[in-house]
Amino acid sequence: MISFLLKHKLLSTVAFLIVVGALWYLFRPEKLFINQRVNEAAPFAVDRDAQPIYTGRLSRKLHETSGRATVYRQPDGTLILRLTDFHTSNGPDVHVVLATGDDPALQNTAPGKALASVEVGGLKGNEGDQFYKLPANTDFTRYSTVAIYCERFHAVFGTATLQPF
Amino acid sequence: MNRLRKLSCIAVLSLAATVTAAFAQSSTPVQTGVFHGQVHSTSGRASVYKGADGKMTLRLTDFKTSNGPDVHVLLIAANDAQDNDNFLKSNVERIELGKLKGNEGDQNYDIPAGADLAKFHTVAIYCERFNANFGTAPLEKF
Repeated sequence: MISFLLKHKLLSTVAFLIVVGALWYLFRPEKLFINQRVNEAAPFAVDRDAQPIYTGRLSRKLHETSGRATVYRQPDGTLILRLTDFHTSNGPDVHVVLATGDDPALQNTAPGKALASVEVGGLKGNEGDQFYKLPANTDFTRYSTVAIYCERFHAVFGTATLQPF
Repeated sequence: MNRLRKLSCIAVLSLAATVTAAFAQSSTPVQTGVFHGQVHSTSGRASVYKGADGKMTLRLTDFKTSNGPDVHVLLIAANDAQDNDNFLKSNVERIELGKLKGNEGDQNYDIPAGADLAKFHTVAIYCERFNANFGTAPLEKF
């Protein structure tokens, strides 16, 4: 075998190159190190519409809660929170608030411990789509959780973790 | 006279801008989901936009995956998929949306008219050559 390769140097070099080329084409190992970045425009007018910037699904904590919470930035820079497909239980003094994701009160299994929260507004209805104004300088990397919160009994009805849209 | 011409020119331009914006404005997100993928570390968001004309577009944002050979964007008829799932072996039904344009960054893909998004409700980044699933985003109603 080796003597054959030595005898036909040109042939074996060509065969070697073909094999290497085929393996390179198959695996394209350089792609492990080369990134291909694209930046296509959104399929809508970015400067004229309210844009969703964060969104999350609502899930139950102490009461059955479902739907979606989305933060929109309006063209004038103001922030609004919109709840859609929303459903929670009715209750006394229920508020929409923002909380930090690591707040221990979010893990309450019974009402009691107060939630350190940013007030958004009194819950307008326990069902249906609704809008709330958000404070202009809200830091969503810190206050990343929307909570439906009963102030009277310190009960977290349900929460949504906001993720970038 | 010159000034008048300039003014009318501006008026026409701003009118044109309004019209295009009015068309573009009507594209709204209808479904969205977040990517997961451990083996090939895939992250970001996939959203389906519906235009006024009913045309559906898949848009990837904050997107990042590994680069690789022959990587495609698919809609699959499954609730979710595991890392490195082989869709050929598992016979998962799918709709091809095209070759992945880039392994990083925001990008749009046309969804064929008549695609049943109630059935094909999961986005997969799939390497056709090695039948490896790089990442998956189950879509939920926006």
